[in-house]
Amino acid sequence: MKFTFSWLREFVDVKKSPQETAYALTMAGLEVESLASLGGQEDWVMEVAVTPNRGDCLGILGLAREVAALTGGRLKLPPVLPHVKGSGMERLVDVQIRSPSLCPRYSARMVLGVRVADSPDWMRVRLEVCGIRAINNVVDVTNYVMLETGQPLHAFDADRLATKRIVVREAGGIAKLVTLDGTERELASGDLLICDGDVPIALAGVMGGKDSEVQWDTHTVLLEGAHFDPACVRRTAKRLAIHSEASHRFERGVDPEGTLYALDRAVFLLAEAAGGVPVKGMVDRYPRRVKATPIVLREKRVSGLLGIELSRREAERLLKSLGMQVQSRSKIGARVVPPSYRRDLTREADLIEELARLHGYEKIPSTLPWVRPVGAGYDFRLQRERKVRAFLLGEGLTEMINLPFTSVELNRRFYGLWGDRGAAVSILNPLAQDKTELRLSLIPGLLENLRANLAQKARSFYAFDLGKVFCLNAQRSAEEKQYLAALLCGARGHRGLRLKEELAPNLRDAKGLVEGILEVLGIEAQPTWSGVGVGSFLHPGKAAVFGFGEREMGCLGEVHPDLCEELGLAPFLVVELDFEGLVQYAPRRLAARPLPRFPSVERDLAVVVDGTFPAQRIVSWIKELNHSLIEDVQVFDEYRGSPIPEGKKSLAYTISYRAEDRTLTDAEVNQLHHELAARIGDVFRAKLRG
Amino acid sequence: MVRESLETLKDEFLSRIAEGASEEEVERLRIEYLGRKGKLTFLFRGFKELPPEERPELGEALNRLRQFVEDRLEFRLGELKQREKERILKAERVDITLPGSRWERGRIHPLTLVMDEIIDVFLTMGFEIARGPDIEDDYHNFEALNMPPDHPARDMQDTFFVSQDRLLRTHTSPVQIRVMEQRRPPLQIIAPGAVFRHDDDATHSPMFHQVEGFMVDSHIAFSDLKGVLTHFLRQVLRPETGVRFRPSFFPFTEPSAEIDIQCLLCEGGGSTSEGQPCRVCKGTGWLEILGAGMIDPEVFRFVGYNPDQVSGFAFGMGVERIAMLKYGIEDIRLFFQNDLRFLRQFS
Repeated sequence: MKFTFSWLREFVDVKKSPQETAYALTMAGLEVESLASLGGQEDWVMEVAVTPNRGDCLGILGLAREVAALTGGRLKLPPVLPHVKGSGMERLVDVQIRSPSLCPRYSARMVLGVRVADSPDWMRVRLEVCGIRAINNVVDVTNYVMLETGQPLHAFDADRLATKRIVVREAGGIAKLVTLDGTERELASGDLLICDGDVPIALAGVMGGKDSEVQWDTHTVLLEGAHFDPACVRRTAKRLAIHSEASHRFERGVDPEGTLYALDRAVFLLAEAAGGVPVKGMVDRYPRRVKATPIVLREKRVSGLLGIELSRREAERLLKSLGMQVQSRSKIGARVVPPSYRRDLTREADLIEELARLHGYEKIPSTLPWVRPVGAGYDFRLQRERKVRAFLLGEGLTEMINLPFTSVELNRRFYGLWGDRGAAVSILNPLAQDKTELRLSLIPGLLENLRANLAQKARSFYAFDLGKVFCLNAQRSAEEKQYLAALLCGARGHRGLRLKEELAPNLRDAKGLVEGILEVLGIEAQPTWSGVGVGSFLHPGKAAVFGFGEREMGCLGEVHPDLCEELGLAPFLVVELDFEGLVQYAPRRLAARPLPRFPSVERDLAVVVDGTFPAQRIVSWIKELNHSLIEDVQVFDEYRGSPIPEGKKSLAYTISYRAEDRTLTDAEVNQLHHELAARIGDVFRAKLRG
Repeated sequence: MVRESLETLKDEFLSRIAEGASEEEVERLRIEYLGRKGKLTFLFRGFKELPPEERPELGEALNRLRQFVEDRLEFRLGELKQREKERILKAERVDITLPGSRWERGRIHPLTLVMDEIIDVFLTMGFEIARGPDIEDDYHNFEALNMPPDHPARDMQDTFFVSQDRLLRTHTSPVQIRVMEQRRPPLQIIAPGAVFRHDDDATHSPMFHQVEGFMVDSHIAFSDLKGVLTHFLRQVLRPETGVRFRPSFFPFTEPSAEIDIQCLLCEGGGSTSEGQPCRVCKGTGWLEILGAGMIDPEVFRFVGYNPDQVSGFAFGMGVERIAMLKYGIEDIRLFFQNDLRFLRQFS
């Protein structure tokens, strides 16, 4: 709401400077967003951000009331031309309200002999300073009075009304109306219309119709000052995407008692600015009187909610300064009736807010409540997230945060770990046509980050994203999960003298990342790895999925050569994990083990096997032996090439032996190891080396 | 005679050993004096030919000389070894001005850094963390927060819809409802997370982050809201930051407050040293940083609490906004472009 300081002073004797007034308003909840001097006119333009509950402050009158309450200035009202008693108006127009719940009041006056022209300069300047385009003296007067009172008015060219029988009704079967902006509007049955007989002439409280608009040749003006239901106006305005000055005010609550003053003021200005002669009498249909209900205000509640003691006298003084009546008092409190223009005050809490606001938030002390701690202070999930982030940053990965919007195509190619269990969630009102779905996977976001960073000449790109992904499950309800994805591209960044050899990461680096994450989370269970069922964007031979039992927890791999070609990049690696799922496997407690009392002995073992033989099989087989003296098995080498025959490879393992109760002798270990090696040779039909 | 020759031998040895500049030379001297054909050995041999009465005295002198020679040789050898070690150490000296060698570290996203700081302040005050879904229903996002379908306050939050009734949450406040539906007071909760608004420009991103917080008990007053939030802001920003509370409106709190901090750039003065209006606070000296208020009785009714028996406050803040103020970032989109040149600045 924009207005000038001089205009405000026509409504209240302001005792303070514009700056002081602006500060007082801001600190009372009517934030002055700007205060600018109007060059040379010794006047100021003020813009107040009016919150949606304060419809009354969408007019200078309402702001003047606030200024009066805050600074003690006296309120005054500018001159009006009240109607002269008579039946002239009744003979010329008839008003009928068919939907009194949507239109509790409809008032109207009529002015004859209007000469439509440009408004006087003082009016045009004021309107334009306040952000309203001047049109002609009649329309300008309605806008001028709306700015003054907050009551939207509409002017019809009465000579263009065929029947002069004004009917306020819901659209029902009426399908269309051309509004004064020239747009043909499709009506819905619940829209409230102003009709001339059966012909719609305005969308009530939203916008007038084209056909009855005031034009340069208009002589007779019918002025409407009505009260419409806020929700009804809002529904229509929203649906038709019309945000007019009128609808803005009606939605936020207009004073139902304000129609007549606004009309009388407009008639006064029309007489002055357009030479109009008012018709005797007026129309005021008010089938549903909007009554304010008294509110009980308990003193205890005031002090309990605000943390201050306000004396009864002070509280009453503050309430009365806002135009409230204090009807009766008891030990508990008082019955308070708010004024008609404060439609936002319906409950005790609303009154307490008014007291706090006028008393001043600044004067309320700062206290610290006594707290009853309830399981606070440590959040398991948060701490897991922090540990994993710290690990990844040590591994050289930088955190990315991406928006979850993506395209249908990307979701089709990168479907995360949802498999064929679900479809993507669509956005009904996307911001862009390539952002119509919520991501199934974090990988497209990282690919975009990779592309953008390489375009900025990044030499390598190591990144991760710990974010949410979304999916519609089989029951068509949306599921969301926290995933972790990582991307490794190029040789890991190194600081210092240039390295002799830069090694691009390979699949085992990605797997190492996953193993590291499991370790950081304290997960001891060994996941199962499989090359079956990897995403089509991954290299079929250099990718894997892994999980616990049947539950798939993640995938990793080198991207498919086709994708590399498409992006124009050398091969790189991606990892994606169901982080939320993994955290469920993380133990809540750690238990320390005592140190072993006797030394372990290590022996190596090398076997020649088929080129496709998975190294892990021998590890698993040894572990499943559950031999009390075998402590650990690790693969430490894979070798192909001379002297190993074509199509074969050599695998080397190190086995560590330890007894809990004694030091193993060399002879004992040698025998154990020899037997183990022989059995492995048999079981896997492998040739032992060395 | 022999005695004299001993003195001469000693002097000669001393001058020879002083000249011996390497371990090899010292070794040669040892042989020359103490070896089987050495000069001292030769004297020892001549010892037998001396008259018996001269032997003890001369024998002692001879032994002393041998001991002396041995000691000096040893000493000289040690000296030379030490000198050689020093020479080598000196020769091995590296250029300390060459850069250190290390693998590039990653960086934590600045929003995570700020989020963590906010969370930690509240955790130390006894708050706990709650989480809610990003895809919400109309009831939790609006209705139970006292925003019925035709409420104009919905205009303040342009919404992405995924179906008739499901939407991307426009704020973290629905977590309030979800927690209160499940639990009874006392509650001290913060709910960090992503929120979504149908908006996209230099100061608005369709996704941003909020931290919602609330405290509900039998005795919580507006003065407590002021105390807790003032403490929080001074912890996260600067201990001396000026904080002001002014009335505002949110459908789910009553009374409601907007909380401003003194501008971090102009420190509340509103203008630059050249007298221009400060570009961060636009000359007002204050920056909006938090929205808060006493939880509206209507909200308590929605979750089945009796508003006469409990009271509480709630607050919400934008993480991006705090990060932008803290680090002097002017374009919100930088957070989501994920340019390493930007992210690497936050170490």
